[in-house]
Amino acid sequence: MKKYSLAIIVMMLIALLTKASNEAYEQAMRKELQQMKAAESPEALKKSANGFARIAEMMPEEWLPDYYAALALANAGFRSTGGMEEMDALFAQAKKHADKASAISPDNSEIVAIQGFITMGELSVDPNSRGQHLSGVAMQTFGKAIELNKQNPRAIILMAQMEMGMAQFFGQGPEKACGLVDSSLQLFEKEAATKEKGAFQPTWGKEMALGMKENTCK
Amino acid sequence: MLMVQPIFGQSLVKGLVKDQKGNTIPGVNIFLKGTFEGTSSEIDGTYMLQTGEKGVFTLVFQAMGVKPQEFEIELDGSTLEISPTLKESINEMTAVTISAGAMEASDEKKAVVLRPVDIVTVPSAMGDIVGAFQTLPGSATVGNDGRLFVRGGDASETAIFIDGLKVGNAFGTTASNVPTRTRFNPNLFKGSFFSTGGYSAEYGQALSSALALNTVDFPLRNQGDISIMSLGGGFTQTLAGEKNSITASANFFDLSPYQSLIKQNFDWERAPYGWDAEVSGRQKWGKSGVVKAYLHTESNGMKIWQPMPGTEGRGQLVGIQNHYTFGQGSFKQIGKNGWSYYGGVSYSNNVDEIELDHLNVRNQNQVLHSKTVAIKEFSDKFSIKTGLESYLYRYEEQLKSEGLNRSFQDHHAVLFTEADYFVSNKLVFRGGLRAGNSSLSDQTWLDPRVSLAFKFEHEGQLSLAAGKFSQMPVEQLRILDQNLQNTRADHLILNYFLSKNGRTVRAEAFYKDYKQLITYDVAQLLPMPMGFDRIQQNGEGYAQGMDFFFRDRKSFKNTDFWVTYSFVDSKRKFAQFRERVQPAFAPRHNGSVVVKHFIQPLQSQLGISFSFNDGYRYDNPNLPGQMNAKTKSFQDLSLGWSYLPRPNLIIHLACSNVFGRDTIFGYQYASETNEKGIFEGIPIRLQAPRFLFLGIFLTISKDKNANNLNNL
Repeated sequence: MKKYSLAIIVMMLIALLTKASNEAYEQAMRKELQQMKAAESPEALKKSANGFARIAEMMPEEWLPDYYAALALANAGFRSTGGMEEMDALFAQAKKHADKASAISPDNSEIVAIQGFITMGELSVDPNSRGQHLSGVAMQTFGKAIELNKQNPRAIILMAQMEMGMAQFFGQGPEKACGLVDSSLQLFEKEAATKEKGAFQPTWGKEMALGMKENTCK
Repeated sequence: MLMVQPIFGQSLVKGLVKDQKGNTIPGVNIFLKGTFEGTSSEIDGTYMLQTGEKGVFTLVFQAMGVKPQEFEIELDGSTLEISPTLKESINEMTAVTISAGAMEASDEKKAVVLRPVDIVTVPSAMGDIVGAFQTLPGSATVGNDGRLFVRGGDASETAIFIDGLKVGNAFGTTASNVPTRTRFNPNLFKGSFFSTGGYSAEYGQALSSALALNTVDFPLRNQGDISIMSLGGGFTQTLAGEKNSITASANFFDLSPYQSLIKQNFDWERAPYGWDAEVSGRQKWGKSGVVKAYLHTESNGMKIWQPMPGTEGRGQLVGIQNHYTFGQGSFKQIGKNGWSYYGGVSYSNNVDEIELDHLNVRNQNQVLHSKTVAIKEFSDKFSIKTGLESYLYRYEEQLKSEGLNRSFQDHHAVLFTEADYFVSNKLVFRGGLRAGNSSLSDQTWLDPRVSLAFKFEHEGQLSLAAGKFSQMPVEQLRILDQNLQNTRADHLILNYFLSKNGRTVRAEAFYKDYKQLITYDVAQLLPMPMGFDRIQQNGEGYAQGMDFFFRDRKSFKNTDFWVTYSFVDSKRKFAQFRERVQPAFAPRHNGSVVVKHFIQPLQSQLGISFSFNDGYRYDNPNLPGQMNAKTKSFQDLSLGWSYLPRPNLIIHLACSNVFGRDTIFGYQYASETNEKGIFEGIPIRLQAPRFLFLGIFLTISKDKNANNLNNL
């Protein structure tokens, strides 16, 4: 009996601690997500990535902290003005976090999409010499992300960007890319309607779709 | 500046983060281990961390390019000041690399001269890997041979490896003065490492150069590739899975239709023709390992009338039938505790059947190579690579018409080890030893190699490499004298390399000392050397010089160009030469310019390559001495045009020697004087004034994802 009650106490303690930790996790995530939204400069994005990396260290079972660290670093890479070497270093760091996230949650459409986004970044560092090789890899990766979840608007809008680049390169019309932009916009609407409040699931990318709609698909 | 006063009950940790040079580091991740509390250092390296935690904690400093550092701190509501100096870690991406003698083509690494895709698109290369390397510094274009001649070395001094394993007879068999090509499709490879000297202890049995080709890891998707060319065609099918893939291809070529349309300088009885088939498979092994297998088999032939100087008529008829198989299996695996392994087995079998008027010769050359390598990384600064190799060589010559037969077999056991020590990101030392033993020659040798590299503040780097290199003489001589020992060369190389923002500068000075080269008397040189006598190992010589390479992908929009110049001063006593001479394959001044320009509205890439040298040395028996004459300068201007109308279609058109310049590579002389007392000579020319190539490459892919996309 004594043994039994001790076990109950221990279990309750664990439950309490887990709850405390969960609350701290949620609080930390909320804070970092807010800061990432506000971050503009590569420096601010790097700080935001640091924040997510700290959470990832504490919560080794969660894929979202590493996912957001990868996203912040990839965006820092795109916005960096420090030359090829710094951009490559940022994308390499982003890749590490994305791979970690993927090890925690395999076959996750969002993580595969971010991996493709990072490949796009590496391509953008030196399109002349990397384009031929990496554009195929990026499209393949986005294709896989869409296959894993056909409702993932980010995978679709990123694929639309690649399709647009290909169409421009080969002097073809933007119809295919614009079709993707439209379906991604629909999915973004749907996502906004069904999103649980306070959830940390990725929701970014709508501006990208609106921008493409505005500039090339009118 | 904002003044932060510690709030009651909260501790404040602050300070300044610097590196070893005293520069402040921004963006360092600073946190209390085991908590969500943390911050980042500012642009000026300062940081401030306010926390309500109490007790003993570990404060961690973490950032790219430095080693993480930890401090035990006690938080009691007061202000702590911690200003660490973080030590740099060795960063594979930015650390110095040894670039002496090396020219790397890779998509993944930094210190590279070319990207793999650049190789396929050099116009003068006509899709041959080696053709592209001939536009790089240190190599000489020998247009009547086609193989790789590096810094005064002959073609046999370059060893070729695929995935680290030796390839025997990498070039197709050909008649004298008919240029040959590499047997392997450039699309097989994702990268290459071309060394013109001073290379790693991992490679041996090559006096001048090692060319290591790495095959593609995993294809992206299922696809079929069709090629239709002016010379033939082929089909390749790729099946790609999650963990494995298989590619099979078959190709054929026949030059007769082409040669019936375009006039040739050569007198062909049967134009070159042939087929090849290959299969390659890949399998992922565990988390990070991969196993590859590759099999290539081909058969080809030609029949040509070779003019004999001083005689009337078409000359001598030479027929060649070649059968070749190359197979290999290799593996790579990453173990625990800093261990990694790779290795494999390769087998090459080359059979030549040569008809020479009434003579029927059959030569068979086999090489069986196996290799296992283990690398141990003791830290990010120090690693040791050790490998064990076995080479089995078998060579057989049959004089079928006479029923004669001779052969030899040789086994080499090799042990090599190499240590890399990074003093910092700026300075690296490498030392290696290669020990070998030949059963046939009953010889044991030890070749030490050393190199070091230093990286300057401006990103440029200086490398120095030196080493000893050993190579057994060619089979055709070893079969005559089985006691022949290694020929030897010593290399000394000083290299400067800078690659920054789309521009690459490379300059290199070298000295190569040859010893124990083979000399002989030869009864007949044409149409193939025969009747060797007095084979001795008393040859020697040297090659010295420098080369320059400049590549720019930035200055002109959509344009990539490179310029190379190599100066080679080489003299050696070898082969039939009684004194030191400048070899025919070692022109003094060599250069090339390659320009590629992408024209967006036409979806086309235009390529121009220009190669030149100051002329080839040759022996004129009408003059005193040996190698006493020189041809006029060699010049070639090639043009290429690649058109991409759709993502899966490429049309490629190329033309070599556009101006139809009459190139002469040397002269062949009669072995006896004519009635006027002179040796009659005939010039060695190109096959045809120009070579035209047209190819259509179509990729068919039922990309499932693409279909899914269209259904959205």
